[in-house]
Amino acid sequence: METKDQKKHRKKNSGPKAEKKKKRHLQDLQLGDEEDARKRNPKAFAVQSAVRMARSFHRTQDLKTKKHHIPVVDRTPLEPPPIVVVVMGPPKVGKSTLIQCLIRNFTRQKLTEIRGPVTIVSGKKRRLTIIECGCDINMMIDLAKVADLVLMLIDASFGFEMETFEFLNICQVHGFPKIMGVLTHLDSFKHNKQLKKTKKRLKHRFWTEVYPGAKLFYLSGMVHGEYQNQEIHNLGRFITVMKFRPLTWQTSHPYILADRMEDLTNPEDIRTNNKCDRKVSLYGYLRGAHLKNKSQVHIPGVGDFAVSDVSFLPDPCALPEQQKKRCLNEKEKLVYAPLSGVGGVLYDKDAVYVDLGGSHGFQESEEVRPTHELVQSLISTHSTIDAKMASSRVTLFTDSKPLGSEDIDNQGQWMPKEEKQVDLKTGRVRRKAIFGDEEEDESGDSDDEDDEMSEGDRLENSCSDDETEEGPDAEVTDKQYMSRKGIKRQKLEMEEDFEVDLPAFADSDDDLERSSVEEEAEEADESSEEEDSTAEEERDILESKAVREGGKPELLQTDDSSDSLNMEKSLTRKKATFTTSDSGHCTAEEAFASEDEPEGNSSLSTEEEDSENEEAIRKKFPKPQVVSSQKLGSGNLIDETSDIEDLLKEEEDYKEENNYSTETSGALKWKEDLSRKAAEAFLRQQQITPNLRKLIYGTVTEDNEEEDGDNGEELGGLFRVSQPASECKHKADSLDCSRFHVEAPHDWDLEEVMNSIRDCFVTGKWEEDKDAAKILAEDEELYGDFEDLETGDVHKGKPGPDTQIEDVEEEIKEEIDPSAEESAKKKHLEKKRKLKEMFDAEYDEGESTYFDDLKGEMQKQAQLNRAEFEDQDDEARVQYEGFRPGMYVRIEIENVPCEFVLNFDPHYPIILGGLGNSEGNVGYVQMRLKKHRWYKKILKFQTIPLYYIEDHNGRQRLLKYTPQHMHCGATFWGPITPQGTGFLAVQSVSGNMPDFRIAATGVVLDLDKSIKIVKKLKLTGFPYKIFKNTSFIKGMFNSALEVAKFEGAVIRTVSGIRGQIKKALRAPEGAFRATFEDKLLMSDIVFMRTWYPVSVPAFYNPVTSLLKPIGEKDTWSGMRTTGQLRLAHGIKLKANKDSLYKPIVRQKKHFNSLHIPKALQKALPFKSKPKTQAKAGKTPKDRVRPAVIREPHERKILALLDALSTVHSEKMKKAKEQRHLHNKEHFKMKQKEEEEKLKRQKDLRKKLYRIQGQKERRNQKSSLKGPEEQLK
Amino acid sequence: MATQAHSLSYSGCNFLRQRLVLSTLSGRPVKIRKIRARDDNPGLRDFEASFIRLLDKVTNGSRIEINQTGTTLYYQPGLLYGGSLEHDCSVLRGIGYYLESLLCLAPFMKHPLRIVLRGVTNDQVDPSVDVLKATALPLLKQFGIDGESFELKVVRRGMPPGGGGEVFFSCPVRKILKPIQLIDPGKIKRIRGMAYSVRVSPQMANRIVDSARSILNKFLPDIYIYTDHMKGINSGKSPGFGLSLVAETTNGTFLSAELASNPQGQGAAMLPEDLGRNCARLLLEEIYRGGCVDSTNQSLALLLMTLGQQDVSKVLLGPLSPYTEICRDSTGSGPGGILLKHWYI
Repeated sequence: METKDQKKHRKKNSGPKAEKKKKRHLQDLQLGDEEDARKRNPKAFAVQSAVRMARSFHRTQDLKTKKHHIPVVDRTPLEPPPIVVVVMGPPKVGKSTLIQCLIRNFTRQKLTEIRGPVTIVSGKKRRLTIIECGCDINMMIDLAKVADLVLMLIDASFGFEMETFEFLNICQVHGFPKIMGVLTHLDSFKHNKQLKKTKKRLKHRFWTEVYPGAKLFYLSGMVHGEYQNQEIHNLGRFITVMKFRPLTWQTSHPYILADRMEDLTNPEDIRTNNKCDRKVSLYGYLRGAHLKNKSQVHIPGVGDFAVSDVSFLPDPCALPEQQKKRCLNEKEKLVYAPLSGVGGVLYDKDAVYVDLGGSHGFQESEEVRPTHELVQSLISTHSTIDAKMASSRVTLFTDSKPLGSEDIDNQGQWMPKEEKQVDLKTGRVRRKAIFGDEEEDESGDSDDEDDEMSEGDRLENSCSDDETEEGPDAEVTDKQYMSRKGIKRQKLEMEEDFEVDLPAFADSDDDLERSSVEEEAEEADESSEEEDSTAEEERDILESKAVREGGKPELLQTDDSSDSLNMEKSLTRKKATFTTSDSGHCTAEEAFASEDEPEGNSSLSTEEEDSENEEAIRKKFPKPQVVSSQKLGSGNLIDETSDIEDLLKEEEDYKEENNYSTETSGALKWKEDLSRKAAEAFLRQQQITPNLRKLIYGTVTEDNEEEDGDNGEELGGLFRVSQPASECKHKADSLDCSRFHVEAPHDWDLEEVMNSIRDCFVTGKWEEDKDAAKILAEDEELYGDFEDLETGDVHKGKPGPDTQIEDVEEEIKEEIDPSAEESAKKKHLEKKRKLKEMFDAEYDEGESTYFDDLKGEMQKQAQLNRAEFEDQDDEARVQYEGFRPGMYVRIEIENVPCEFVLNFDPHYPIILGGLGNSEGNVGYVQMRLKKHRWYKKILKFQTIPLYYIEDHNGRQRLLKYTPQHMHCGATFWGPITPQGTGFLAVQSVSGNMPDFRIAATGVVLDLDKSIKIVKKLKLTGFPYKIFKNTSFIKGMFNSALEVAKFEGAVIRTVSGIRGQIKKALRAPEGAFRATFEDKLLMSDIVFMRTWYPVSVPAFYNPVTSLLKPIGEKDTWSGMRTTGQLRLAHGIKLKANKDSLYKPIVRQKKHFNSLHIPKALQKALPFKSKPKTQAKAGKTPKDRVRPAVIREPHERKILALLDALSTVHSEKMKKAKEQRHLHNKEHFKMKQKEEEEKLKRQKDLRKKLYRIQGQKERRNQKSSLKGPEEQLK
Repeated sequence: MATQAHSLSYSGCNFLRQRLVLSTLSGRPVKIRKIRARDDNPGLRDFEASFIRLLDKVTNGSRIEINQTGTTLYYQPGLLYGGSLEHDCSVLRGIGYYLESLLCLAPFMKHPLRIVLRGVTNDQVDPSVDVLKATALPLLKQFGIDGESFELKVVRRGMPPGGGGEVFFSCPVRKILKPIQLIDPGKIKRIRGMAYSVRVSPQMANRIVDSARSILNKFLPDIYIYTDHMKGINSGKSPGFGLSLVAETTNGTFLSAELASNPQGQGAAMLPEDLGRNCARLLLEEIYRGGCVDSTNQSLALLLMTLGQQDVSKVLLGPLSPYTEICRDSTGSGPGGILLKHWYI
């Protein structure tokens, strides 16, 4: 019977399940779903209103475009710096615990005590730098500036605290980094419902502050003093996958959150003076933008400094190598926190030992150690990169001694001697460079100095010896040095040659510069030598050198391939290559390499032909020149001129050889001259154009040298030796003109000179890939067949000569020739590619918007930026573009106050912010400011900024107090900051402020070196003489001069009468004549409104809170207000007596008696005349009549009489009323009668008039007719 | 630290313009000593003083100190202000002398610059206004400095020694410059020119045109040389004539050459035919030098490249003119100076 009690299953009538069922049911019935509704009932979905449709379209477009950000060039480095995670919250909310848990989550290591930033590897592509932020407002401001992500801890059991909101406001000013809230202490709630409610309340409050939907994380409770693993893991996941929007300041400034500090000061200096300025090195990841050496940085809390040296170190917490695995292994989970100590090891002042305990500790330290060592070595040596470069050595040969840079330096001293030799064959004078045996003697001095150096020299000598020996060989041999080593040696030799030759030819007397150029050239060569592995690349270098040497008139060493390359290139490009060869060598080589590739084949192919032609040409060129080429024919003598190039091509045809030889024999003379001329010109050019890289990135500053020189020699303490020599190279006082005059003009009438630039014009020859005719032909080949759709004609492409042949060939030997098949395939592919391109272009055209284009452009630029430096090593790259973000750098700073080191507290972040171009300067900064709505007081003008409000006419009027709920302007003297930068004002940075600490926020509007703030000034005066509308006014000015300055100024009286100042008066000093629109009264006060410019005090005092002793860092206070000073010193304010409140005693008003002048009195009517008669005096006794006392009888009579008279008067009154009434009626009647009478008369008159009128008309008619009738 | 960044110090008046311009752009004070210290007539010249005055006009809050002999100049730059201005240039140098520096500064002003310059429009020393208009303005346009208000107008022409010319220059404000990629000069498609004559026979211009064409026509048919004969008040105070030629390539590169007659009373009289021919030859020389930027504008291009954003710009130059070499002075000299990103030459 129990079954009966069970409930029956009830069908769901509502909810998702029921709806689903309903839908299915409908579908079963073939009634269809919503999508079909459109089809089913198209009318219902038709356009009802075009306007509404337009509106909805607009709205969707608006929403779409709202999502767009202005595209910026992506400058994020390939290996980004760690993300700065700032853990922030009021005290006792669980910040340190959270950091510990996070570190443990990512690295499986436990740091007990955390000081300063901790860098960890959190994933394959992400690192984190976690730092804790306390409640010190300085720390909050500094960290908000550099934070990428803020974890905002909130004690749920308590609710929001002021610190949270303060930090949110600070973040807002800095551009809002990503903010994630974390609720802690959730386990203190007993009831679940209350917990839920609190969560919801806090969440919504948080949303209003950050943005709706901001992530708020819940950490439900602690287990053994730690947060729950799963929750921390989730939080970690959130952090690792988070994306960030770049912030303006962060992307435009280099900045470093230092995680290490070392004192580099000489200990002796410290011993002698404990308070001497220190030299410190700071370490950290570079973030934001590129950092240049020697730039200015600001360290908040310390001050502005110039960076004395920057170097980059290997990454101490590197990302793992590229791998396919999903997660990191234990080895790769690094942690780097030099400021934190773990397990008993404490932080030391001079050194930091990171000892991470546990099983991975040992391995960890191994990871860290090498960098540490390197750093230590850096510190101990204090050597810069240049010095290191100087000490580095290069091994040229496997068995040779390493070659140091001092060897190269020495080459300045090892200037080869010049010996003139006359070539027997040609009769040409050659200047040979000789090193010879005498060098041994020369090197004697240097031998004393350094053994290694002399060894290097010896090596060099041997090389040069080799050279002298092999010199003649080289002149004859063809392919002797085809082996790799051979080429190397050869190259070296050529280098030597180059160095040897150059000074001999150079005209300038500046040895120093040249030697440095040479040195660099060699360095570049050496480096390239090391890198290059293939013979081809070697050849490139050879070529570049060959070109360089080819420029020299006497030593025409040119390489075969380079020459053929030069020949085949158009002239413009040739010129380009010439110029590139002077610039940075690496770029030159690149250029060559790149340009070589297309030509490589042809040069190879022509090589054989050249060798065949060699002899023939030699015959044709019976020149007195010696060809000192290594492996090439004499045809390479020819330079520059393109017609010769043509000739060379012609030579390839054997048939024309004979004709040609006859042709050229005549032209040879000028040709020979030409080549030399060209070479000379090239040399000149080369001398003119300096090595640009050296110019720009070189370290030598000549001014310093000059100054040193000036300070130098003095004769007898009186006269100074003038040194014109050092300055003449500068041409210090030459004409400042940007025009580049032609020194040796060409003769442009000569055909060949004209031909040299013929190809620069559109009428000249084009490059292969740009020749219009060729491109056209190619296109025709591909798209030859097309059908004109309009006319229906079918155009058949003309098979080109090549294709025709190919077709024929294909037909004939289809199977025999595989190359033809290949070419056909290629052609097919080409056609396909072109079609695809066309399709792409067409397809994109429809879609692309302005925004897309802009984005594409930016992307292209970003790619270009990346590609530019991709293949360069860091050392060179740093020189070009500065230290890029993501590098771990060490920055040396000098002249740091000793307190920075002595009172160093690792808990406080050290941030180095790079200063922009003019940000180190100081000027007036204008801002828009608003008092924070939670700040209780209004801000008074006694603070550092001056407040103003802008009037409608642009005048900036000073305000004494900030408006309560309105923006106002403010100006202060301070560092120039870019417009649009947010700012924030606090009353004091010391920690004893009870209320909301942020006083005002705003934004920088304008920068200026002058200010226009004015305050109102009212000058008052009084009239002392009044004419009609003119008055004389005194008391406004003190002298006639002052008046003269204000002539024509507008003045006004209090009552509103306007006037103008006319002219000064002589009599009382400062009085003037003024005219008004009405007559003044003597009692009027005249005033003039003027504006007085206010000066902003040029006072700027950066906060130096980091210099305070440990534990007092939050007590820094700047300038105290007078109120604070008075309080501190117990000085009471002396009150002005006038401004004290007193009881108000009103005096009784006393009016004088009215006095009427006699004349007036006379004129008055009697009624108004004052009655002058005296009062009736007392009546004398005898005149006083006695009182009458009546008898009772008399009294009765009197009473009766009284009564009778009353009755009578009453009667009379009634009668009068009656009469009045009667009269009224009578009057009315009379009026009526009168009216009737008038009416009657009127009617009568009317009648009369009518008759009269008729009569008159008749008369008139008759009078009009009369004469006619009479006429009739 | 309220102290200013320490000043850079130079000696000699060479590159005075560039030093002052770069100092203004970078905000660092500069001190120049020994200006013509060994000269018979030491110190700053009139035209330099005029230039300094012009700088003072376009900036706000700059401090200039010159010692009594005029051999030492201290310049602490203010902020570039701009606005509507007028300036009477010295007649010792052309307006080009002043205009070249204004071209560097104008895009970075606070308010758009609209300036009227009076003086010598065409002379033999400085690039004339016509050439700057034809070459420098298109170059600036490549950097994204463009707009309706970007113009350079020759209102009156003035020749040395009298001057009396007037030029109106206005430039919009562009804080961010576009990176440029000028590595292919292209081929010359047309040559344009301007033959001007003032206070001489109008026939002079036609004679110049004919002679110049006789040389250039060998290379290109598309040549047109305008003649510009100004009369009355527009012709300045001294007689003279001259020619400026501009070659335009398919890729928008402009190469120019110019020549002006000797000023009245100085040197031998010039034949207009000779002048035309020589000028045409100068243009050919310029073409021979090559590059994507005219030799007079090399430094302008490089400067704007460094002032742009962090992006890589590339430009192909012909041989460097001596004027361009000052990059060493201004850039390599330590911190705070303008730093170069990357040059392709």
